[in-house]
Amino acid sequence: MTTVTGESTTAGTVLGQPLDSREDPQLLRGEAVYVADIDLPGTAHMAILGSPVAHARILSIDTAAAERLPGVLKVATAADFTDVMPLPCIWIPGGVESHFPPHPYGLPGARPVLTGDTVRHVGDPVAVVVAETPRQAAAALAAIDVAYEPLPVVTRADEALAEGAPQLHEAVPGNLNAYWTCGDKDRTDAAIARAEVTVELDLVNQRTINSPIEPRGAVGDYNAATGEYTLYASTQGPHNHRFLLSALVLGIPFNKLRVIAPTVGGSFGTKGYLYPDMALVLLLSKALGRPVKWVDTRTGLMNSTVQGRDHRQHVTLAGTRDGRITAVRCTSYANLGAYPSTIGPGVATALMGRSISGMYEIPAAFCEVYAAFTNTVSLGAQRGSGRAEAAFLMERLVDRYAAEIGMDPAEVRRRNLVPKEKFPYDNGLGWTYDSGNYAPNFERALELAGYAGMPARKAAARARGKRLGVGIATYVAICGVGPSTRMSKEGMLGGTWESANIRVHPTGEVTVTVGSASTGQSHGTVFAMVAADELGIDPAQVQVYEGDTLKAPYGQGTYGSRSYSMAAPAVALTARKIKAKLIKAGAVFLNVPEDKVVYEHGGVHEAGNPENAKTFAELAMAMWYGWGLPPEIEPALDETTHFDPPDFNYPFGTHVAVVEIDELTGETEVVDYTAVDDAGNIGNPKIVHGQIEGSIVHGLGQALMEAAEYDENGILLSSDLTHYALPRAADVPFFTLDRTVTPSPHNPLGAKGAGEIATVPPAAAVVNAVVDALADLGVQHIDMPLTPEKVWRVLEGGAR
Amino acid sequence: MDLTPAPTLTLHVNGRPEEFAARPSELLVERLRDGLGLTGTKVGCDTGQCGTCVVRLDGRSVKSCLVLTASAAGSEVTTIEGVSERGGELTGLQEALRQEHGTQCGFCTPGMVMALGELVENTTPGTAPTEPEIREWLTGNLCRCTGYHSVVRGVQRACAAPPPAPSAGSAVPAAEGR
Repeated sequence: MTTVTGESTTAGTVLGQPLDSREDPQLLRGEAVYVADIDLPGTAHMAILGSPVAHARILSIDTAAAERLPGVLKVATAADFTDVMPLPCIWIPGGVESHFPPHPYGLPGARPVLTGDTVRHVGDPVAVVVAETPRQAAAALAAIDVAYEPLPVVTRADEALAEGAPQLHEAVPGNLNAYWTCGDKDRTDAAIARAEVTVELDLVNQRTINSPIEPRGAVGDYNAATGEYTLYASTQGPHNHRFLLSALVLGIPFNKLRVIAPTVGGSFGTKGYLYPDMALVLLLSKALGRPVKWVDTRTGLMNSTVQGRDHRQHVTLAGTRDGRITAVRCTSYANLGAYPSTIGPGVATALMGRSISGMYEIPAAFCEVYAAFTNTVSLGAQRGSGRAEAAFLMERLVDRYAAEIGMDPAEVRRRNLVPKEKFPYDNGLGWTYDSGNYAPNFERALELAGYAGMPARKAAARARGKRLGVGIATYVAICGVGPSTRMSKEGMLGGTWESANIRVHPTGEVTVTVGSASTGQSHGTVFAMVAADELGIDPAQVQVYEGDTLKAPYGQGTYGSRSYSMAAPAVALTARKIKAKLIKAGAVFLNVPEDKVVYEHGGVHEAGNPENAKTFAELAMAMWYGWGLPPEIEPALDETTHFDPPDFNYPFGTHVAVVEIDELTGETEVVDYTAVDDAGNIGNPKIVHGQIEGSIVHGLGQALMEAAEYDENGILLSSDLTHYALPRAADVPFFTLDRTVTPSPHNPLGAKGAGEIATVPPAAAVVNAVVDALADLGVQHIDMPLTPEKVWRVLEGGAR
Repeated sequence: MDLTPAPTLTLHVNGRPEEFAARPSELLVERLRDGLGLTGTKVGCDTGQCGTCVVRLDGRSVKSCLVLTASAAGSEVTTIEGVSERGGELTGLQEALRQEHGTQCGFCTPGMVMALGELVENTTPGTAPTEPEIREWLTGNLCRCTGYHSVVRGVQRACAAPPPAPSAGSAVPAAEGR
């Protein structure tokens, strides 16, 4: 039930079809193997002792009692790993001076594998136990005696920057990692100073916990005979982890480490990071001569796996009385947590700041970010990271502005959308949007949501004792993180390209290997479709392998909705190389000039003479034999492409939330949700549809219930799923979804990122809807999450 | 230390009797995963919140991280491995979930199949559960990938429930790619 407006550049017959996921049957039968299910012979089990306090000097660690406990094989502390380097940070705020704890390679350093002197957040790992069973290892943790001398604690970025705040790192004066800006400050300040109308908001984009349902895990297996290490880990970037762990942490040759990502139970950004446990299982496997396995608990996850969002912002929008936005400005205090995570500092700066103007043409824009260290878990990416924070502030401001000038919020948005003819469009903050056609997308969403009928629905709801509100949010999400040179200017230390290899076997079956690695996105289905579409063969003939660094070519991995616009183009281009070779060879096999060879349905035939033909299977066998090929054509079909696009891609969309608030309880119910997203050409609509639905629920979670709450001592109060609320099935209605299609010119598939883009606007849409429902009380803003208690207090107290 | 020999307990797991020495604190999920190697049952939260460890105990779906193995002695336990043959045909529910792509990373999926199996099995033809009833039934199972919609549609398909009526203001019910 989708009306697709726009042009598709997809030529084949397979892409765009809603094929069933070939991964599903194994998952439905419980047969897929996750890290916790791996059981190598002789495995010993590791448990990690995390600090119970947020900031303290370690005076002593006594492990003697733990070592004597039954089953215990080894207890280790930082003193056992003095030759191991700290985990590095590889995405620093670009173009500005920044301060980090040091790494021996001159890189920004993150945490050591075990902390020996000062702990900086609850969960900071100080010791490990390896035992015969997981229970023995966990029990022994309690027998390790650590003496801590408490230090003062700070958990908020703005407070960490204040004079006299507790200091976390010697190398980071005043806890300031970086002061980063984008856009034109003078121009923006001037536009705000002379504006007809200005509106301002103070926003808290609360810290949230991604909460993949599978906690992280790692198995290390050292082979003493060959000196090779194998790491099985719940990772979304096995190749990247191989590089970082071998060269920059363990100091072992790159080719002595193999990283395998088995089935990964969700990630949403968190499993692309380097964590101490990954190094520890390898080091302890070598020390003990046995495989060492570690599987996290939920509380462990919440106190160690990177957390998301966490900005405190002061934002200003300027405009005219008749609804033209003239400037936007943001001052943000970003909380990086206790240590720089693998890419967290880049997420908190560039990904957020350069995105704040969204779908609007704004003559002056400026964003400044103060990125600070505090005594909390390290900050990282989270589904929609950076873009969601940006869309939230912009879309809250637009509604505030509309209220100020007394104009319909939809009309304000309509008047400021970047027009189609302005693409490629420089947003003045550092991004150049590749392609866009915003107006039809925006109008389609309003039409599907029944926007014109809202006044009548509001009146009907009031008669039932409910306050109905409607909220719109639009967004542009930078995706396809890949132009390596461009990313280097953003401070990324490493190539961000993706690669793919295709081998055609003598029997005509095809193997595709890619550097990307799925965390539930059905890559095996979709990449097979891409290869089959290009080659004109049945997807069932194509097998896809990924997630094992020994079997697949390098790629940075799956994050930022980049696999379909980074790895899939690499597959398509490789298939084109195969096709080109088959046309060349076809000239030999058909005995006609090359320009008379027609490639169709996987085979070749002579133009105008379909009888003179070779099928795909015949060609595959002939190329394998290699008989009669001229010297310029090598036998076999085995091609590789390394894809580094000319620039990013920019999906966009419009979401409309309708909420009802119970006047007596303050409970907010999302009663309708409409989303019209544009991810360019998509490969498999069934799979993308599922990702869009899940993404929206994730965004609704931030709006309504999710929050990582730290107390004044830096204790994470919401450290398990009884204290951290995730949306459940009864919390959401069915959604109304549609899409528009505006292909990206930056890859051969015309693809844009899709997987997480729908997480970007829901928080803004829902908060806009709730504020709309309470507007007559003088409410201008409520901080997330909009729990019933919070909304009830507003209802009781009136204006806020 | 208690030197009394541990009594032998029996569980009937997926139709087979399994005898073992009882450990007082052992959880059913540990017995299934670590003791019997039935790793289709997952551990996601340690507090009974996530539902990845749901199995059927004498036909009723229960969270196996909240059941002491000893307390289940003598019971029939069905795990995901007992639902369909390895690599074989899917059940009607599994097939319906496949057609609706009711899974992404798959970690919550076995627990969902076990919990929803009870709902589907106890549905009399013609009395299919409503959408709110399905969502209510699913509240014990967390999923972070799908947002539950495809799972709810899968149950509706499995129960051959009529499609949901569009709610006020919705011009188009969510349906794409089917």
